[in-house]
Amino acid sequence: MTVELFGMARALAGASHVELAVDEPVTLREFVRSLADSVPELVPDVIAPERDAFVEPNLLLLDGRRAPSGDDTFGSADRPCVLFLASGG
Amino acid sequence: MNGHAPRYAGPRDLLEVDLTTRTWRRSALGDDVFADALGGVGLAVRLIDERVRGPLDPLAPENPIVVAAGPFASTPVPAANKHALATISPLTGLLNEGLSSSHFSAVLRRCGLAAIAITGAADAWTMLVIDGDRIAFEDASDLRGRSARETTKAVRERFADRSVRVCAIGVAGERGVRFASVENDGRQAGRGGTGAVFGAKRLKAIALRGRGDVPVADAAATASLAAGLRARALGPKTAKYRVLGTGANLRVLQRMGQLPTRNFTAAQFEGAERVTPERAREEKDAYTELRAGCAGCPVQCEHMYVRTARDRRTAAASEYESVWAFGPNCGVDDLDAVLDAIARCDALGLDTISTGGAIAFAMECAERGLAARDAFGPELRFGNGAVLVPAIDAIATRRGFGDVLADGVRAAAARIGGGAERFAMHCKGLELPGYEPRTLPTYALGLATCTRGACHNRAATYDKDLRNPSSVADDAARANDAIEAEDRAVAWDSLVLCKFVRDCFDDFETEAAALWSAVAGLPLDGAMLRSIAQRTWERKRAINARLGWTPADDTLPARLFDDAVAAGPHAGRRIDRAGLRALQSAYEARRTVRRDQVAMRSSASTAAALRP
Repeated sequence: MTVELFGMARALAGASHVELAVDEPVTLREFVRSLADSVPELVPDVIAPERDAFVEPNLLLLDGRRAPSGDDTFGSADRPCVLFLASGG
Repeated sequence: MNGHAPRYAGPRDLLEVDLTTRTWRRSALGDDVFADALGGVGLAVRLIDERVRGPLDPLAPENPIVVAAGPFASTPVPAANKHALATISPLTGLLNEGLSSSHFSAVLRRCGLAAIAITGAADAWTMLVIDGDRIAFEDASDLRGRSARETTKAVRERFADRSVRVCAIGVAGERGVRFASVENDGRQAGRGGTGAVFGAKRLKAIALRGRGDVPVADAAATASLAAGLRARALGPKTAKYRVLGTGANLRVLQRMGQLPTRNFTAAQFEGAERVTPERAREEKDAYTELRAGCAGCPVQCEHMYVRTARDRRTAAASEYESVWAFGPNCGVDDLDAVLDAIARCDALGLDTISTGGAIAFAMECAERGLAARDAFGPELRFGNGAVLVPAIDAIATRRGFGDVLADGVRAAAARIGGGAERFAMHCKGLELPGYEPRTLPTYALGLATCTRGACHNRAATYDKDLRNPSSVADDAARANDAIEAEDRAVAWDSLVLCKFVRDCFDDFETEAAALWSAVAGLPLDGAMLRSIAQRTWERKRAINARLGWTPADDTLPARLFDDAVAAGPHAGRRIDRAGLRALQSAYEARRTVRRDQVAMRSSASTAAALRP
């Protein structure tokens, strides 16, 4: 599964995308654990130490548009993106 | 408990200054004022509310400027050396409450001050000096034409004291550009043209020197709570600001198809990758990165870049909004041109969002034959980075077509005619920030209702939209989200805490109220904090109503209704007028209910806070 990375995830991984070796489709929890295993640098700034959730406001959006929830499953065709937004001040 | 009524522990003096008569009065504000308004924006809005009773010319002497310290400034609380600057905006004609930060905020309180209220107008360029208890009006004619940074340097030389803190305007404020900023310590109160109000009063600068103590009510509790917040502010919740800064939003919004481009004619920019500040960070040989931040803040969020071969003193800040304003919004994909434009705005004292918005508007005017393509020398067209600095110089000095743009896009469109108002991107006169309202419905509502005009920091309603762009919420839910975002922003801005630590709280209202109580010594809980925020928001709207605001002013630029997003994942999206009206009806119904609740709760809360 190809995962696009933005912001902190991209800076920590040193790459704009990573390939995950997972059986598709996956749930969000399976996805986060697989991503943490593949890119351990994302723990704890992007992925929580328990490796089961993102550290807010990092999040997964499918094709940059849809946030999966609960038991939703998805795959490469959904174009997963890990990103965050930063504003205010 | 010793049986005595709780007393506000911090500096409580209000300094009232009349520049016309060169007189001043210093008095102590009562506990009831702090219990009612906390500080920062809450206090500034209350003081403006007491002074603005009807319509006024924002550039006339009677328009007050209020500087109100954040109640945590100069205490151990991190990310809180901040102050509010409030006045009636020459851009919108309505209330404008901005924020700035760092040493100036802290020294304001070390002078024993909670706030300064300035009215009148000097007959010559003047610097207001607050040197502990000494107040003076000093000649500033030699500072005319200087940037805020140059002014600060000159003032420190005059005092032979590098500890003097200065807020000042640049050339743009002196010339009355209606989106001129006020700068201190390299930080700007940018939006809404407070710098032009300084200029109209011939107030070049305010200089502070103070070394007084800033007491807190419960030192042990303050230290403990502040240490906890500091630790969290050094953790993963703020890593994005420390490592990347807000400039990292550009790639994200581009990917999401939410990046306003070429004066909001598109929502994706083909040159985004070339202009992202992350590129400068990644090209370590080509660019030097400098870090900066506010005094006492562990986050140090500012990331500045300069070509390695160039003078480091020319490094430009790379905040998202500034990069967006001169990059995607002007169709410019030359990062160096964008950084030069940002640095030029800071040197001249201009708000980058409104300046970029004005130039993007001018580019569209030129492409439609409504403005001369050679108005600023290099061709005025989308994508031409070479025109940015000449256009900025012309705006700041009100030269040629720059004079037209210096009044903001709303006034400029009226002068240009030919239908230019159709693509003047503003709300109530304030130019739009860098998020695409046609794809973010709650944000669109927040922009329309915001008392300040198109400000993303007074109605951070884009947060929920962006975290799940495909969510389908009903009008009631969106209205509630918008109201909560507005009220929460007032709470943040009255405390004043930097919103970059907003993810560091589990229960913001409860934890922030406990922090305020420890510092200030007056009772406050989460419910009371929410009431104060709601009441302050109501005050803002009441001030605006006295200035002539009507509900019809709560709308969006015509383009957002009439022109669909041209391409990208949200192609075809536009805002439905009837849909927005329905959303506003839901919003107003809930605001009315909450007004009643606040009226009941606030009197009870204030009484409880002051009860012996």
